Amino acid sequence: MSIALDQVTKRYQSLPVVNDVSLEIGDGELLVLLGPSGGGKSTLLRAIAGLVEIDHGRVSLHGRDVTAVAARDRGVGFVFQHYALFRHMSVAENIEFALRVRRMNRADRLARRRELLKLIALEDMDERMPAQLSGGQQQRVAVARALAHRPEVLLLDEPFGALDAKIREELRRTIRRIQRELGISTILVTHDQDEAFAMADRIGVMHQGRLLEVGSPDDLYARPRTRFVATFLGAANLLLGYRCGNELQFERPADEAVTAREIVAVIRPEEVELTSGEPTSGLTRVGSGVVEELQFAGATERLRVRMTLEAGPIPATPDREGADGNSWLLDASRTFPEQRARPLATGQRVTVSARRIHNLPTPISSFTVIARDAAVAAALNDSPFLSTLAARMQTRITTRTTRTASAPPGMPVLAAGPGASAAALWNLAHGTSQVLILPVGAELPSRIVVLPGAEAGVEFLGVAASLLRHIPAESVLLGIHDGTTPARERASCLRILLEARARAQVEHQLDLRTELRFGDLDEELARQLDVDLSSMLVLGLDTLGKAETARLAGLIEGPRLRPVLLVHSPAGSD
Amino acid sequence: MPRGRIVAPSPLPGFGLTFGFTAFFLSAVILLPLAALVIRALEIPPGELLRLLVDERALASYRLSFGAAALAAAINAVFGFVVAWSLVRYDFPGRRLLDTIIDLPFALPTAVSGIALATVFSPSGWLGERLALAGVQVAYTRLGVVVALVLIGLPFVVRAVQPALVEVHRDLEDAAESLGAGGFNVFRRIILPTVLPALATGFTLAFARGIGEYGSIIFISGNLPFETEITPLLIVTRLEQFDYAGAAALGFFMLATSFVMLLAINAVQGWGQRRLGLGVAR
Repeated sequence: MSIALDQVTKRYQSLPVVNDVSLEIGDGELLVLLGPSGGGKSTLLRAIAGLVEIDHGRVSLHGRDVTAVAARDRGVGFVFQHYALFRHMSVAENIEFALRVRRMNRADRLARRRELLKLIALEDMDERMPAQLSGGQQQRVAVARALAHRPEVLLLDEPFGALDAKIREELRRTIRRIQRELGISTILVTHDQDEAFAMADRIGVMHQGRLLEVGSPDDLYARPRTRFVATFLGAANLLLGYRCGNELQFERPADEAVTAREIVAVIRPEEVELTSGEPTSGLTRVGSGVVEELQFAGATERLRVRMTLEAGPIPATPDREGADGNSWLLDASRTFPEQRARPLATGQRVTVSARRIHNLPTPISSFTVIARDAAVAAALNDSPFLSTLAARMQTRITTRTTRTASAPPGMPVLAAGPGASAAALWNLAHGTSQVLILPVGAELPSRIVVLPGAEAGVEFLGVAASLLRHIPAESVLLGIHDGTTPARERASCLRILLEARARAQVEHQLDLRTELRFGDLDEELARQLDVDLSSMLVLGLDTLGKAETARLAGLIEGPRLRPVLLVHSPAGSD
Repeated sequence: MPRGRIVAPSPLPGFGLTFGFTAFFLSAVILLPLAALVIRALEIPPGELLRLLVDERALASYRLSFGAAALAAAINAVFGFVVAWSLVRYDFPGRRLLDTIIDLPFALPTAVSGIALATVFSPSGWLGERLALAGVQVAYTRLGVVVALVLIGLPFVVRAVQPALVEVHRDLEDAAESLGAGGFNVFRRIILPTVLPALATGFTLAFARGIGEYGSIIFISGNLPFETEITPLLIVTRLEQFDYAGAAALGFFMLATSFVMLLAINAVQGWGQRRLGLGVAR
């Protein structure tokens, strides 16, 4: 591995801006770190170069642990957004800088400079000053300068950000060609998805300090695992779907007694088929709507179809542009031939079907606040915890104040306090495996303690991962074992914990710090929760015996209340 | 713009009026008195003028004025740089206050600084007493002149270097570091060269100011002819002795010097801009 990051964390004013990022980059690979600005990608890049000190974790370059090594000894090449050329030096002096500080002799320097200028196609520009070059030329010089000392790793921080579109395209090709020619492992940071698609061998999407997903561009586009990646990479319609057996339907099941599993379906605009009559056979019917907007965009036509909530599917993202209380807009796009074959007009009623539907493997599809009292329901709904989380997850909150025969299809949300554990247990017994219990007015936590049951199942870790991705908080995977555990068995306790961590990493691409404790479960748990005033607990339960029920009551009925996410996965359910 | 033609560069009216006023004002306030001085000096026969300019006492005063100004400017170049560095690079309580205090020598009447220095450094003064114990005498020596000029010149260097230091972007240092340069190399090869033109400008400004400085020096220097007498003071002395020709000759010389210094400052600034590749056709 050329670059290996292990749980790299960087905090600014105690807030993690890079949060437990682990990543490996192969020889000669070009990885693009993609994400909105402020997501921590530039900080991560600087941390790899040694320009930013990290608070936790390890950085290795070609098998050498460089965490404590100064930037100048790491042997990386770094290219900045605004070129950062030394303006008082000529092109030649800029390129030779790294060689000069290494005391290379004149003849070798000259030879290397010639070579680099040829590589960036700027021969005979040696004596120019940076101010005499265009932006694109300056950035090419910056690339040559970064490569002069034959670094093993090339890091590019938004290298095209300051250039106009045409030059950008050209420079992309130049850099990709150079990178391939030299076979140098490269990380490029950008917020531009076109750039990511055009350049990447693999893309890593960063958001709020976490590395959400890593994969090949086509894989991330076709099979995203998270809502964020689904909507950040290209356009997407996210719909709530209901799976009853093997059947996927988009109408909410009318009969509450039918236990349908709620899922989040991703339908790309280009996979939407619009027909005036019945859909082509074999396609999944989504619903029907009225064409509201037609936009000619050259090779494609972009359409927006107004769908009503009453008749059709429910979008998983509630506050999309153009949505109101009763209806919302579905994005579709058609190629020119399609458009010619079946012309549509605004105001026309169409049947919407999907050629391809991708189910997000996210276990949290939507939230349903359950409270007998409407005021309590409203308070839970408005709590910073739930409203921020739902906004970040781009998910829907519904409220239920009446008694029903089964748990809601989405994740139930209950108020903490007296009676909470009975309500939670009832939901767990009636068709759901996860319950979120919130104190009224709960804030987002700054620390998350994850305590799996005896078996940290994939499902449990999936729920934890789904939550953690959206909260930039320090998190720790906790293992607590009886204080009387004999020494020879303690090693296997550690193995179980590390296996759980590995599973979270492999299955959910989530890295967690681990802590192993021996002692009384309740005491140790309380201690871990009290590390931070604002902490929350993700608790896995395999069985619902007497001890568990009592513990649950202690945690969610007071006196100290904090958000608790319960995940019940009976043994052998994985 | 074609040479030798006046072109109104702005569509706003009033160009003729403002230009005329500018020309008149500059003539009345600057050119006229200076021309009078030059004419007065040139009325002296050339041989006599030369004699007045290279007279022993005048030569001694040049040596002191130029020597002390150069030394003080050099000291300021070093310490002014350090002050500017800490003001730009670090944030500490009282930074803004310190930043304001730098300008105090600008704002203070020079006579006030002179009296203050004389009080502190006189043999019975607060600092002078202690320095005397160490065998160093500041007041009424050439050292006193240098001390006064360091005080007066400091803001020139700090204010010249400060904006240039701000310009040295963090990225430049990061770039140099990632290319393998250590702290000293980053300073020597990146920071210093970038700031050098500003530093040179600051040095020249402080030097020019030092040559003409009068008020802050006369109280601390003791004004001993051939020893601690600066050129501006010699002019005053000659005037008091009704030696108008001598005074005019020295005045003429100082004027010429100022002019040379102005040219030098412009040259330094032009050099700095060319160095960074600015002002060159793209």
